Order: sequence, then structure tokens, then C-alpha cells
Amino acid sequence: MAARHKSIETKYYEDRDCVLRALRNCDRRTFLKISAATMGAVLARGLTPPHTFQLVEIAGAATGPAIGKGFASEGAAGSRPFTFAYISDAHLYERTLNQRFVRAIVKAVDDVNALDPQPDFVLYGGDLAQLGEPSQLETGRRILSGLKARVKMMVGEHDWFLDLGEKWQQLFGPPTYSFDWKGVHVVVLQSVYEKDFWTARKMTPLERMQTVAGLDNALQSRFEVGEKQREWLKNNLAKVSHATPILVFSHSPLYKYYRPWNFWTEDAEQVQAILRPFNKVTVIHGHTHQMLFNQIGNISFYGMLSTAWPWPYAPEGLPKLTVQMNRADPFDQFDGCGDGQATVLAGGTVDKVYNLWDRNPVTVKASYLRSFGKADRPPAPQFASY
Amino acid sequence: MRVNPLVAVLFATVAIAIASDAAPEAAPPDATAPKPGVMAEPKSTHQVGFPAELYKLSIPADNPQTPAKVALGKALFFDPRLSVDNTVSCASCHDPGKGFTDQQPTSDGVHHKFGQRNAPTVLNAMFNIAQFWDGRRATLEDQARDPILNPIEMGMPNQQAVVKKLSGISEYQDKFQEVFARAPNYGDLVKAVAAYERTQIAFDAPFDRFMAGDRNALTPQQQRGWAIFNGQGRCMTCHGWNPTRPLFTDDRFHNIGVSAHNAKFVQHARQALALLKQAGGPEEIDRLAISTDISEVGRFLVTKQPHDIGAFRTMDLRNLFVTQPYFHDGSQATVWDTLDHYNKGGVQNPFLDGGIVPLGLSEQQEDDLAAFLLSLTSEQFMAQAKKEYQRQFKISRTDRPQRDTEAAIGLKGRNGPGFGGPFGDLGPGQKYMRENPALLGGD
Amino acid sequence: MKPRTKMAVAVLAGSLAAASAVYLAAGIRAVRTYAQALPAHQLPKSQGGNVVVQLCDGQTTAEIPGLKPGQRMTRAQALEFSRKLMAEWQRKHPDRGWVMAQAKNPGAAQAPAGSAAGGSGKGRETIAGPGTSSAAKFKSQQGDTYASFHERDFVIWKAQTDTFVEQGNKIFHSAQLLGSTIGVSCDMCHPNAANTHPETYPKYQEQLQRVALLRDMINWCIENPVRGATLAPDDPKMRALEAYILAQRKGVPLAYGKH
Repeated sequence: MAARHKSIETKYYEDRDCVLRALRNCDRRTFLKISAATMGAVLARGLTPPHTFQLVEIAGAATGPAIGKGFASEGAAGSRPFTFAYISDAHLYERTLNQRFVRAIVKAVDDVNALDPQPDFVLYGGDLAQLGEPSQLETGRRILSGLKARVKMMVGEHDWFLDLGEKWQQLFGPPTYSFDWKGVHVVVLQSVYEKDFWTARKMTPLERMQTVAGLDNALQSRFEVGEKQREWLKNNLAKVSHATPILVFSHSPLYKYYRPWNFWTEDAEQVQAILRPFNKVTVIHGHTHQMLFNQIGNISFYGMLSTAWPWPYAPEGLPKLTVQMNRADPFDQFDGCGDGQATVLAGGTVDKVYNLWDRNPVTVKASYLRSFGKADRPPAPQFASY
Repeated sequence: MRVNPLVAVLFATVAIAIASDAAPEAAPPDATAPKPGVMAEPKSTHQVGFPAELYKLSIPADNPQTPAKVALGKALFFDPRLSVDNTVSCASCHDPGKGFTDQQPTSDGVHHKFGQRNAPTVLNAMFNIAQFWDGRRATLEDQARDPILNPIEMGMPNQQAVVKKLSGISEYQDKFQEVFARAPNYGDLVKAVAAYERTQIAFDAPFDRFMAGDRNALTPQQQRGWAIFNGQGRCMTCHGWNPTRPLFTDDRFHNIGVSAHNAKFVQHARQALALLKQAGGPEEIDRLAISTDISEVGRFLVTKQPHDIGAFRTMDLRNLFVTQPYFHDGSQATVWDTLDHYNKGGVQNPFLDGGIVPLGLSEQQEDDLAAFLLSLTSEQFMAQAKKEYQRQFKISRTDRPQRDTEAAIGLKGRNGPGFGGPFGDLGPGQKYMRENPALLGGD
Repeated sequence: MKPRTKMAVAVLAGSLAAASAVYLAAGIRAVRTYAQALPAHQLPKSQGGNVVVQLCDGQTTAEIPGLKPGQRMTRAQALEFSRKLMAEWQRKHPDRGWVMAQAKNPGAAQAPAGSAAGGSGKGRETIAGPGTSSAAKFKSQQGDTYASFHERDFVIWKAQTDTFVEQGNKIFHSAQLLGSTIGVSCDMCHPNAANTHPETYPKYQEQLQRVALLRDMINWCIENPVRGATLAPDDPKMRALEAYILAQRKGVPLAYGKH
């Protein structure tokens, strides 16, 4: 009997070893071949090169439907429903230091790989690393390359402020990009720029990173999309019909929730103004590690869960529409954490699933947000944050 | 010869009716079924550590304890005539001589059919917030309804057949009349059995005397074990003890990775979760439960809640050394095996509870914990438990199928392939030992 | 705390932090030295080998007849001899009035009505900051040995308290100081000590399965999510952590047992 138990456990690891070994091998040799071929194909078709250079994205592009086909001219009537999954805020240390966070993101990869049918793509919501170190980012990239579906990468402040995005961009490409998918225009932003607070204080890169990594210090500046990127966004959206559903992926919330913890985007109003002309806009953001949702005018906002740990709700500024998740029990490393999926409905609005580990998943419907809370209210928690 | 199936069924029914009607007492009860001995006697409530408040809360208003009812319940508990072929009584699987279990991985029912779950003890079962490993029945009364009719346990065809059989036994006619003032019926039958089971309370262990102030009740090794139980072992959170509820359980359901012993567990779990999203899915899950070994999804079958996948009830740790083997599938032969299971962080599966993590316990620490667990044995069972402890101790010196030291100290496993490393997500080691374990839980 | 104030505190804290670390270390040493050098009371010898007691002025003494060293006084004896000693002191110092502070202000011993229900807490604060009307108020008490405070005293107290809290702040935010083996610090889950709710202790804590004080839960967190070695209850780090966490909840009503 003992041997049987052992063998199943062993088998589990062997299976996984096998998959990842294959992917690692692919990483070294096949990757270069595939990516070169894909790049050639993309360039030959006169399209802008894909911005996400991670293995799975491009490997998938070789056989799957090409990302970047021009759906932009189609209206809302042209958008077709689809599902994407998300994993966010893994905050990886080097694996030898902290296995807990590694274990959590591996669990998320398992979850997403078990989805049947598979999502069209997986959004990684930023903060792959805890302190932006190359080894941390590489560990994360290796784990994410185990996903069956293609991955869309987004950058978070923990990835950025050690080397101001150098390593991240080397691994994953430019942090700002857009693509069209089944009639929906998708924009990915780098929304964690901060005004220089470090030069005057003579901070080392690590000190700068550590300062940004903390929530409750008043030393750092607030997040912003920045003028240059706002200009890019304006231009990017200029060609898009106002009836086209817009999906915005942003690490920071793109609204103002709680300034002292940088649950905040300094130029949120200006970004919202750029998005205002469009009928259906959904912002999916990371950073806040909690069930969090909001509706401002035409824009629906959904925060993503972290795989690493939940943040408490801020003492003030919580959007009225947000139904809190239960306080987490620290005995259970997964409690209050998780991953999830989003379903883009036929009309271009988005239902979002918060797949809370060791709890039941919670679905927050677009109809709840777009009715400003009049319909489909999610269940209230037993223990609110305080 | 062609036989009309309907006729055949009728025939069979009549045959059973004749068999049970004809002369129930003529068919002698199976001599192998356990007889009530001294261990089966109702226990006194005057035990060290007895929770008076909890006891009051645990006696239902509609089934008060009376000596006559308890006596009737005891007779029924030991009567194999409650089974279809007069071979299996309640005591067959809940033998007082074996700590009210059968000390088998899974139980031998009528026609030697085996179920999939380990028979839990009756001792202190009255305090459980829910009965069965998956908690599908709320009370001992409701629990008692099921095994009699379960085709692989006692195998009676239906309640009517049971009542009919009982009514044919003159002593029961009198006793039911005396206790309930009416003829035997199924509801009264289970009330009497439950009343008897509520006399099986088991405290009065060295641990209880230690907590009552006798500093010598636990050996130094057992005191070390109690500190590990509260600290690095992380046992206390789920197997929680306090003077108001002195049972070593949180009355909750957790996936500790035992389900994953079944190779098809993950597949079944995914299948069940997918069904949940469909109309009529819950019913479909129930059908699946009958036709496959999906029962490893545990509590989920009862609640249909995704967080209950593979979860089973946290068991009281009292009298562990008379209720072996362990876990819901009886898969672990020794206490050391269960400790090894927890130490390596359970068996990896996608639904594993996030509280189950590698503990990094040393051999010495596991020995200390095992010694501590012996101290949870009630005086009545101590001699038997000590023998079993010695037997298991001996086995544990050579045979440790669940031991995986590398996983326990984080050298492999937890975080998937290719991510081994010298530092694990571990407990802090023996850097801190509480000075006075007796103070824990006393406030 | 408002961001601007906080900034000021942080800057102040930066300069105080190093000093406070030295202080903490030095403090412990100082206490030890003091304990060694503590002057012993010189008491007159009793002829009959009885116990001699002395008033805290270091001069007035009395012999307890029949009480040998190691024996305990009865309550009646204790009352009798303390009265005798005080009477003796008053006889020797007819010019110096002995003020029973509490007796003068009988209301002080009782909690204000309704205080359990909360309220703003104003009026019950004992530490007032400098620059308030407190300085004027305390001027009127000059001539009183133990209750005459200068504005400077308040500054000293506040600086000491803030330093202590800042020490906790540093530990709270540092995986290294917490001794985490996995790079985890308190603030990662509890920015500004949110969701630590120190005002709800003592309470039954499920993880420990017993009634816990704040320090028990701090230790549990250090041992489990933080993966460090637990601290002794009087460890300077533990004291500083408690100070920081409590300071974050200033003004929140006590609510022991709340879940």
C-alpha cells in the first residue's frame, strides 16, 4: 500500500518535471527557432512585432490564431465572447529563499492549465518579482512558461524599480502595447511610473526598489501613467470606433482609492477622460491583492487577486460597489489569495471570477457594476477588514 | 428457462420476508460478532477533563438519556440480527474491545463486502458537530439510520423490514414498549442506539490530569511533544484543545492530501467541479458517487461546495493507540506514518489545504509527538494502548513508508519540478521551546 | 496620520533610529549596573533580634516586637506600624504637609461614566503634547514634588515614546530584524498595522486555539507566516512591535474579545 501512495506522489512530480523539462529545452533551442520564424512571418505581413516575447506567446502564435489581426474597424456587434484567465502579483523571491510564493504561483498555473476549455490567453497582472532582481524575474518567467495558453505580460512596480524596467523589458518586451482580440481592443499599460524621489535622497537602486515595495511609507511618489504614455494611448485609440469594447490592463487601479498606500493613480482622471468616449470600457488591474471593483461612468474596474498574500482593505476610500472578501486566516497560506478568469460577453462587457483558493469562487457580473449595484450583488462576507 | 424479472424480484422479496418472518430467533446470531464486555459498559461522567457544559449541549432535547433506553440501545448495538444475514452488528465495526472501531483499514460488512472508509470510533462521537467522515449526518440518531440499510454494511433492504424483524423478537417488543410506550419503529430504534452511544465518553487521560495540575502526569518527553504540538508541528490549530471543548478537533473539514492517494482523485474532482456549473449537476454528481469511486472528493459530495473538494472531518486525537489504522481510508498503519504524512506537507494535489505545509520535524520531534499522543489515552484503554504504542514504535524503527525527509525539510517537492533548494518553507526549528506547556490553553 | 506629519516623523525617526538602537542596548546595561550599585538600607540593629522597618525617608525606623526575620507581619501589625512610622515622621516635620494626591481628587480613581462605550478619548489622555495649554495648567501645581512638570518633560516623554514606536516600526518593516528566513515582514500583510486590531485582545484565537494576547499573536505570526524564531514576551523587539502596533490604533476604542 505504501508503495502505491508513494508512486502517485512521485508520478505527480515526474509528470510535472517532464512537462517543464520539455519547456525548458524548448526555451533554449526551439524557442529561438520558433521566435525567429514567427518574427519573420509577422514582419512579412507588415504587422508591428508582438510586444510580448515570452516563449508561450510566440510558440502559440505559430499554430494558433495570430494576434494582431485588424479587428479595429469592427463595432461592438462584431465582438465575439471569449474567456481569458489571470494570474497576478506573485512577488517571487529567489526560489531558494522563499518557496511559499513559488508554490502559490505554481498552483495558479495548475489551475489555469486545468481550465476546460482553455482560456484564449492568460493575463499576468504584474509584480512577478518581489524586488525586481533578474533571478526573481527569470524564476517567474520559467514558471509562467508552463502555461498551456498564451500569456500577456504586464509590469508592476516590484518588477520595475530596481533597474527601471531593464531586465523585465529584456525578458518580456515593451511594457506598453495593444492588440485586438475577437472584436475587442485591448490596451496594456505601464501604470507604475513614479516621479523621481530617489536622486535627491541619494538612494541606491535597491533602496529605491525597497521603498517602492513597501506600501506604508510616505517616501515614494504616487503611481502615474505619465504624459508620454497618455499621448500614446490617445493616438492608439484614435483609430478605434467608440462602439468597440475596450479592455485596459493596468497594474495600478487607474482610479484613486487610498493615497497613503499608493492604491492610487495620480493622473487617473486624465486617463479616464481618454477612455470616456467609448461605450464599454473595462479596466483589469493588479496591485491591490483583494476583491475590489468599481464603476466610474462608462468604465468598469476589477482588481485581481494575488497568489502571494492578500492586502487588507484600506481604512478609507473603498469604492462603494466593492463587496469585501472575508478576512484571511494566516494559518492557510492560500486564504485570501487566488487567480481567476474573465468572460468578455457578447456585448463586450466583462464578468469576472475571483477564484479564491480554499474558498468558493465569487463571480462579479458586469451587470452588477453597470447597474451601479442595483442587480446581481455578490454575497457579503462574514468578517470585514478592520 | 426464461423468468419474468418482475416475478423474480417478487420471489426474492417474499423469500426475505419469509426468512425474517419465519423464526428470526431460530437463525442464531453470528457467534463471531463481538459480545458486550466490561468495555461496553456505560461510562461515568466523573472523569478528569469531562466537559460538563459541552455534554449538556450534546444531548438532544427530544432524546433524553434514561437507563432503560440506554440498556435497550446497548442490546441493539450488539445484535447482529439488525443485519440482513444475522452476521453483522454495530459492534462488528465499533467493537468496544478495540476502542469502538474494528482496527481495520476499511470494514468487513455483510457478505464480506468492504467499504471505502475507515470505521470511526464511537468514543466521544456524541460531541461531534457532524457524523461520518464527510459529516453527512448531523446527529448520532441520523447516523445510526444509515449503516443498517447500507448494502455493504448491514444490508437490510429498508426500514420496514428492520421494524418487522424486530417486532418478531419478543424481548424487543417488551423493551420498546417499556422505553417508548409503543411498538418497535425505526425512529425509536435509532434513538435508543444513540442514547447508548452517548454513554461512551472518554476523558480521564494523563493529559487531562496534567492540565488539572498534576505536573507528573506527563513524562518530560510528552511535555516536549505538547510544546511541538502547539508550535512547530502546527497541530493545535486543527486538533485544537481547550477546557470547554477538550476534544482534539476543530469540527471542520480539510483536504490534507489523503484523497490524493487515489490515482483518479484529481480527475474526479475536476469532473465534479465541472458538473457543478451545469443545470442538474448536483444530481449528476450523486449518480457519479454511486457508480464510481468518486467518494474521495469527500465533503464535497455533501455540500457541493468547491472548497470542500477532498476534505474530510478533523478527527479527535483521543485514544489514537486503540483506534488504528488512521485517516479516512485507513491507509496509515502507525501514528508515525501519519506524522510523516504531515511532516512532508501531505500528498501534493491541486486542492490541498493551504495550511498543510512541510514542517521540518526531526525524528526526535516525531517521537516526542507520538509519545504525547499516547498521553491522550483514557485510563480504561491505557494498557491496550501502551502495547500498541510499543508495537508501532518498533515498526517505526524500520518501516516508514510515508517518510520523506527531503520534502519535510524543503529540499524537493512543494514547489513543483526543478525548484529544489536548500531552504524550505519550514518551521523555525527547535529554537524556542515554551517553558511551561501546562499554561497553554488554560486561560 | 496625515502624510505631511508622517513625513516629518519619518525624517525625525531616521535620525533617532540609530540613537535608539544604542539606547536600547545601553539601557539594558544601565539597568544591570544600577542593580549592582543599588545602595542598601542601613538599619539599626534590634537588641532582641526583631525585624526593624524603615520609612522611605531613610531615617525613621521602628522595631516590630516579636517578629523575627523570615516571619510575616499580620495585616493588623502592618497597619499599626505604618501608622506609627508616619506619625513619627509628621512629628519630626511639623512644617511639611503630606499630601495624599488621590484623596484630594476622589474622582480620579473612578472611570468616567460611559467610558467603556468608547467616545473620542479626549480628556482622558494623560500625555499632552508641548505647546498646548498643559504647560499653563501644570504651572499652578508648582511646589508639588511629584506632579510639577515642565514643558520640557513633555517633549522628553514624547521623544522617548516616538523613538520606541519608531523602533517597532523598523522591526515591523524588516524581514531581517524579524529574523524571517523567507524574506517576509509584517507590513507585507499589515500596512500601517491594518488588520492587526490590537484593541480586540484578549480574544480567542483560532490558530492558537486559546485566548491570546497581542504578543501571542505576534509570536504566532513570527513563527508561521514570517518563519522566524519566536520572541520572549519581554524581548525588546517584542515590546517595540507591540508599541508600534498599538500606536497605529490611537483613538480606537478598546473592544476585547471582538472578532
